[in-house]
Amino acid sequence: MGELIAFYLLAGIAVATALAMVITRNAVHSALFLVLNLVVVAVFYLLLGAPFVAMVQIAVYAGAVMVLFLFVIMMLGAERVGGTTGLRWQVPLAGALGAALIGGTLFAFLRAPAGLAPVGSPPVPFGDPAAIGERLLTTYVLPFEITSVLLLIAMIGAVVLARDSGPEGK
Amino acid sequence: MELSWWAHLWSVLPEIVLVLAAALMMAVDAWLPEGRKRELGYWAIGGLAAALTVTAVQAAQLAGGIAVPYEAFGGSVRADLAAMLFRVIFLLAGILTVAISMDFRPLRQSGEYYILLLISVLGMGLMGAAVNLVMLYLALETVGIALYLLAGYLRDTPRSAEAGLKYFLFGVFSSTIMLYGLALIYGFTGEIAYARIAQALAGLPAPAVMAALLLILVGFGFKVSAVPFHFWTPDVYEGAPTPVTAFISVASKAAGFAVLIRAMIEAFPTAQANWVAIMAALAFVTMTVGNLLAIPQRNLKRLLAYSSIAQAGYILIGIAAASPLGVAASIFYLGIYTLMNIAAFAVAVIMTNVTGSEEIRDLAGLSRRSPGLALAMLAALLSLGGIPPLVGFFAKLLVFAAAIESGLLWLAIAGVLNAMVAFYYYIMVARAMYVDRSPEEEKPVWISRPARFTLWFTVAGVLLLTVLVYPLYLLAQMAAQAF
Repeated sequence: MGELIAFYLLAGIAVATALAMVITRNAVHSALFLVLNLVVVAVFYLLLGAPFVAMVQIAVYAGAVMVLFLFVIMMLGAERVGGTTGLRWQVPLAGALGAALIGGTLFAFLRAPAGLAPVGSPPVPFGDPAAIGERLLTTYVLPFEITSVLLLIAMIGAVVLARDSGPEGK
Repeated sequence: MELSWWAHLWSVLPEIVLVLAAALMMAVDAWLPEGRKRELGYWAIGGLAAALTVTAVQAAQLAGGIAVPYEAFGGSVRADLAAMLFRVIFLLAGILTVAISMDFRPLRQSGEYYILLLISVLGMGLMGAAVNLVMLYLALETVGIALYLLAGYLRDTPRSAEAGLKYFLFGVFSSTIMLYGLALIYGFTGEIAYARIAQALAGLPAPAVMAALLLILVGFGFKVSAVPFHFWTPDVYEGAPTPVTAFISVASKAAGFAVLIRAMIEAFPTAQANWVAIMAALAFVTMTVGNLLAIPQRNLKRLLAYSSIAQAGYILIGIAAASPLGVAASIFYLGIYTLMNIAAFAVAVIMTNVTGSEEIRDLAGLSRRSPGLALAMLAALLSLGGIPPLVGFFAKLLVFAAAIESGLLWLAIAGVLNAMVAFYYYIMVARAMYVDRSPEEEKPVWISRPARFTLWFTVAGVLLLTVLVYPLYLLAQMAAQAF
């Protein structure tokens, strides 16, 4: 029961911060709302019995990634987004389509709740460092290595895009 | 069964060769003096050719029954004939693309360009082999990120920068939507492997599965540029460097079809009635919209963009048929399409080098200016249009036959009508080359040696396969049995 209350409370905060992040016009505020959202998600992981994943979420996402975000926003001086966006009829349309998507998904789930039983609970503690490390280097070694290739080309790409093209374009 | 370490490595041997080649190229790029950067193209071709050799040997072993299909890396990838044949398509497309890139003027020769190309081929190979959701998503993203960068590679040209940005934005949106679908599937079943998902989905209510399926199809639809997920196609094809456009139009599309076929057949067999209806509708809309919008185009690259959308429609017919014949027809079509589309883009690259423009009217008088080039383009166009003796005709025949066999007669009829519409705009390009005159007729057309290789290879391939239709069909049929 207590867990259920905690869940709904946190879910409310998560949705509210996500909305606030999109709606607010100040990029720094957006980033800070995102930090809050990521922290709430980390608490979800704690509730699910995965403390290590929760800590990684806070250290990597709420910490490192968001510091980089804020740093870039402030360096570019782009904290204020321009007043009007020139998107006039798109806003209500996007709202209607979004509502249709939510409605459709809810319809799909609520129509036959009997068939959608929860898929067994994971072992507790779930995702402890030893287990994650072992999986990464055995079962999931290929996806793990491909991720490193992915990060490598992302880095190459950043260099390509940021490179000074020089006096006559190299 | 416990696999030996060699069996694990064997399943991704082409990818290992490609990673080593990319690493080697980074070192070579650093050592090569500024004036000799063009040679990097040959290094890239060497790496891709080495991987192609490995793949061809593996495919021969699988086709000959010396090796049996199996899953490796904890069920991440499967080594089967379909995965190998798709790799052959990607690697061939890669080699031919490098060859037309080497002397493409606007492209400054640099190692990064080729490395990105190599890595995107690597990702495509894994897309074709992936049999679980994690591998699928990572492979898709590896290909995506490399291609966004390649599309925007001419960063100082506004059109290319715009193409890169557009491709990126559409790409991340569709991949995010697809991720929702994948998350739903995982939430319903608690599984990531296709085969186990298929088992777990059997007991689930249809509307829930349908919701996840639709979200996933957004991501796949983007990759194969099916209508209504095609909006990025003309702008990206027009703005990206032409060799990159050629590569996106064949390799990326083939990779999209590879994951589409495997995911539909292996993970969603229980929802087959649903996805067959979706595929048939997609095929119809895609070919019709693609063909109708191709007619008014004046820019060669935009015309080829809409033409490639329409071609995706024909290939979708084979998938909608949802039969061994349909899958074989789709694989057959993709193989042929790779050759003929790259041939057409090779001509576009050569003409851009010469005239600096991509308008169809600048092809005027090409038959007098360079008869061989005009003939190559004509062969590619007629084959794309599906004119009887050429192999493109057999590709269309197979997908239409598959549709009829599966009771989709209306789709086959729509396909035939579409092929007639398409014939009109292919002939308009041919008319510009053969009938229209231009004051530039006396000027010869310079064709670099690697580009000449691409032209010869693709056109000879189309002509040779016209003779060897049956063996190619048998190969496609064997690959289709892998699913």
